[in-house]
Amino acid sequence: MNEHRNHIDFWLMSAVLTLMLLSLGIVYSASASYAQVKMGDSEKMLTSHAIKVIMGIFGMFFFIRLDYKVVRRFTKYALILAVVMLFMTLVLGVVSKGATRFIRINSIGFQPSEFAKYALLFHLSVLIASKQEIIDDLRRGFYPMIFWVGLVTALVMAQPNFSMGAMIFGLSMILLFIGNVRLKHLLLTFAVLLPIIGLYLISAEYRLRRVTDFFSGVSSGTVPSNYQPWQSILGFGNGGIFGVGPGESKQRDFFLPESYGDFVFSIVGEEYGFLGTIFFLAIFFYILIRGLRISKNAPDTFSKYLALAITLSIIFYALINAGVTLRILPTTGLPMPFVSYGGSSMVFSACAIGVLLNISAHTELHPRAREVPVIGSVDADNVELRKVY
Amino acid sequence: MTIEPQQKLPAYDIGDIQEKKFRLRFVQILLFVFFGIVVLRLIQIQILESPMYKIIAQKQYQAKFLLPAARGVLYDRKGNVLASNSQLVSFAADPKIALEDADDISKKFSKIFGKPKNYYLQELKSDSRFVWLERMVDLKYLKEFDVKKMTGVIVRYETKRIYYNDYLAGQLIGAVNIDNSGISGIEQQYDKELKGVDGYVVFQRDGLRRARPSVDYPRVEPRDGNNIYLTIDIQLQAIAEKELKRGVEENKIDRGLVIMMQPRTGEILAIAQYPKVDPNHFGKYEMEDQRLRAFTDMFEPGSVFKIVTASAAIEHNLVKPDRKFNAEKGSYKVYIGSNKKTREITDAHKAEILTFQEAMEMSSNIVMAKISDIIGAERFYKMARDYGFGIATNIEYPGELNGVLKKPINWSATSLNTMAFGYEVGVTPLQIVCAYAAIANDGVLMKPLLFKKEVDASGTVVRASKPQKIRNVISHSTCETLNQFLEGVVERGTATQAKVKGVRIAGKTGTSKKLIDGKYTTGDYIASFVGYFPVEDPQIVCLVMMDKPKGISYYGGTVSAPVFGAIAEQVITTTDITSRLTPVIASVDSGAVSTEIEKNKYMRASNLVPDVRGLSLRKAIETLKTQGLIPIVNGSGIVSTQLPSPGAPKKRGMQITLICQQKNNYDIGMNDQTGDRK
Repeated sequence: MNEHRNHIDFWLMSAVLTLMLLSLGIVYSASASYAQVKMGDSEKMLTSHAIKVIMGIFGMFFFIRLDYKVVRRFTKYALILAVVMLFMTLVLGVVSKGATRFIRINSIGFQPSEFAKYALLFHLSVLIASKQEIIDDLRRGFYPMIFWVGLVTALVMAQPNFSMGAMIFGLSMILLFIGNVRLKHLLLTFAVLLPIIGLYLISAEYRLRRVTDFFSGVSSGTVPSNYQPWQSILGFGNGGIFGVGPGESKQRDFFLPESYGDFVFSIVGEEYGFLGTIFFLAIFFYILIRGLRISKNAPDTFSKYLALAITLSIIFYALINAGVTLRILPTTGLPMPFVSYGGSSMVFSACAIGVLLNISAHTELHPRAREVPVIGSVDADNVELRKVY
Repeated sequence: MTIEPQQKLPAYDIGDIQEKKFRLRFVQILLFVFFGIVVLRLIQIQILESPMYKIIAQKQYQAKFLLPAARGVLYDRKGNVLASNSQLVSFAADPKIALEDADDISKKFSKIFGKPKNYYLQELKSDSRFVWLERMVDLKYLKEFDVKKMTGVIVRYETKRIYYNDYLAGQLIGAVNIDNSGISGIEQQYDKELKGVDGYVVFQRDGLRRARPSVDYPRVEPRDGNNIYLTIDIQLQAIAEKELKRGVEENKIDRGLVIMMQPRTGEILAIAQYPKVDPNHFGKYEMEDQRLRAFTDMFEPGSVFKIVTASAAIEHNLVKPDRKFNAEKGSYKVYIGSNKKTREITDAHKAEILTFQEAMEMSSNIVMAKISDIIGAERFYKMARDYGFGIATNIEYPGELNGVLKKPINWSATSLNTMAFGYEVGVTPLQIVCAYAAIANDGVLMKPLLFKKEVDASGTVVRASKPQKIRNVISHSTCETLNQFLEGVVERGTATQAKVKGVRIAGKTGTSKKLIDGKYTTGDYIASFVGYFPVEDPQIVCLVMMDKPKGISYYGGTVSAPVFGAIAEQVITTTDITSRLTPVIASVDSGAVSTEIEKNKYMRASNLVPDVRGLSLRKAIETLKTQGLIPIVNGSGIVSTQLPSPGAPKKRGMQITLICQQKNNYDIGMNDQTGDRK
């Protein structure tokens, strides 16, 4: 299969690299004031972010070169490792802002939930692909899948990290939905879980307040928990069409909390205006289109679902993050992939893109190949068939 | 590559494939819609509503910092400081920013100011974005903190009004509230003039409220309040207060007041009131004691009002001074109407026959009642009106009363006789003084003045008062006759205790029963004496009024006249009475002056702390040193604040604290006026 290496989706890679490089400038601008005041060095966070970007690029290239079929063999162990790490996080994690979300290994802290998310999605892709024939069977098909989903979701929510848990659960359900799991099973799962999630949601005051404040419709910053989204919108609005210019953000000067992290998109809107935000959205849209295409042309069922899982994860994150910063959605703690400051997301998402790119190398996208009628274009498992041509 | 064993070529039917396709398509559409919503939202916020957000954002980035104007200084007629300002500091905080440091801040404040830590913690937990932690504390506390290290703490320099003479003329001067607005007395009357116009400077600021000057907006300098000179003379004021206090204490009196006026100009020289109040702590006194009763209290004058009767009789040439009257041995029954009802008028000094002049000297109510019958209602009413009774004098002071003078049409059958000796009328102490000043001023009624001049920071006189003649009340010859009568009162009449050796004094006593709940009670009297001196060229009119004497005596002649005498004696011995009332600075270094005067010796207009604000530090130090002052420096750059304030009395070797700021460094200490998120 090595001949296909030359055909990795170059444009997809370019799009992702563009985001990662642009994020350097944006995170620098967004974090400079904060880093100056809290750490005494305005470039401290830029440096840290740049390291993560480099790590991400290395990770990406590693997975581009690693055959996805090798990845397939390790998904189960990766998922078990992820579960173990989530347990460890609960027991000896670093407490930050009221939750234990990080663990430290040799002073490098990272969020196991980011790793767990991809491990789960990868393994679900394996399970869906291998159980297609028995997918309707509750015991043999559905239970094994929902077991892992439930376990990981519960462990993440226990940190407590509601938004991440909800995202993992939602992405898994979407993947299972596309993966032909019986609707009845999915609906039953929701019926059982929704009350539990609802209870969890109202069990912490800040979570409930975020939601009620969001729906109360108070748009100005007068409600304390609305302060951040209100400041975010001010940034977008002040940016207008053309933006206030690179490095000219004022919202980052302690008006907008987390301006470099979950609310970095607002800084994009402020400095680069509508043109900037549309450009970023366009890149994500492009990633979606390329991801769907890779999935469509994927060589086998596993890679097909895996490509979908990776694409959907990144796009949903981007959209939900944008939705939060624009106050379409209540405040969550989700980063914008490849843009926000936050190492774990950057590194793991880059690795996932690496896997996606590796899959793309196994598809034939050149014009001649398209003319070839591939049997069962949706489920072209048998690579050997193609090799006939 | 190897094909994994479980991968078989699956056999799907068409329905399966279509459903599968549909599911993927469903999720795709979901995502496209999501993209669409985000784009629409961006169009809404970044294009359609952008102008609105730009305005709000601008407001958020700009902070309009107040440059408070210094409140004008109050001076007496000779330039002695009555009220000035001192610089204090207030600590506030923005709880939103203090957040993580709240505990540290509370601990530190608790340690320094001694309040429990929870007090500050409670404040710092507030939802507001501006809370006071400590207000108006000494500048020395600034040194205890490294404010820049305490995130969210805001420092604000504030000025506090200082009344240098404590109790001196307390009610007259009045007071300001914590925001430096006049709420009483002169401070209230001239609040607008004293206040000045605050300046401001627009800063760029960040979410931590740190600010730097904005180049886009000009700095508007504050215009300091104008200084006001009063007609009051603190030396006379001190004499009046000292003697009033002594008189009050000797006679066990609740309340008393003294007014001194220059008859020629109508300028009020002193207004003393007992009990005293200290304007530095104005709030702790009762309302009754806060107000200036000389203008805001009405009473029935009693015998001091007899000058109206006498004036009318003489002016209209109806009664000669030596005309004899039957004084009825102190008890006179007047028939009222036709039903044989009688009313009794009594005299304290019983006599059989009295001349008009003797009746004034002995203060006979009976004779005055008889004379009023000769005068008649209209002429009597007009004379009272001409003296200014029944209408406010329109002195520039808040809360002055009109008094009550009924028109003849509203009089009862006995009103004329009663008014002849000072009942059934309501007058303010000020009106009495003005009326006597008219006699001392050759029959010309002057408008009473408290305001001398208003001077702006550059020394230009903005407004100055001029003596204002209201009307000729009585003729020169009537004045001479009245002078003779009133001098007789002091020489041999009811007020011999007001006599002072070597000076001719004229005056009149009054002892009136107080009207309480519509009844005249025998226990409650107002004892008053009003007079002027020297008779040949009157310089001072002085009223002494004692409310409710509880000692052995309650007569104006025995309670108030001695106080008048003591005041007059001191005025004559310690001042050069003929020249001292001109605005020239007179010598105050006379031994007999009270301690309050001693305290003010150094407070000369030419002897005040210079204004070095706005100067470079080097220049400021130089200026202070050449004047024998010791600068204490705080910070570097430009002097922004000095303590004591400019215009404060200067003493050699005095320490002047200078607070300096770098010209472009206003990190702390500015007054945030945007207020949008407080």
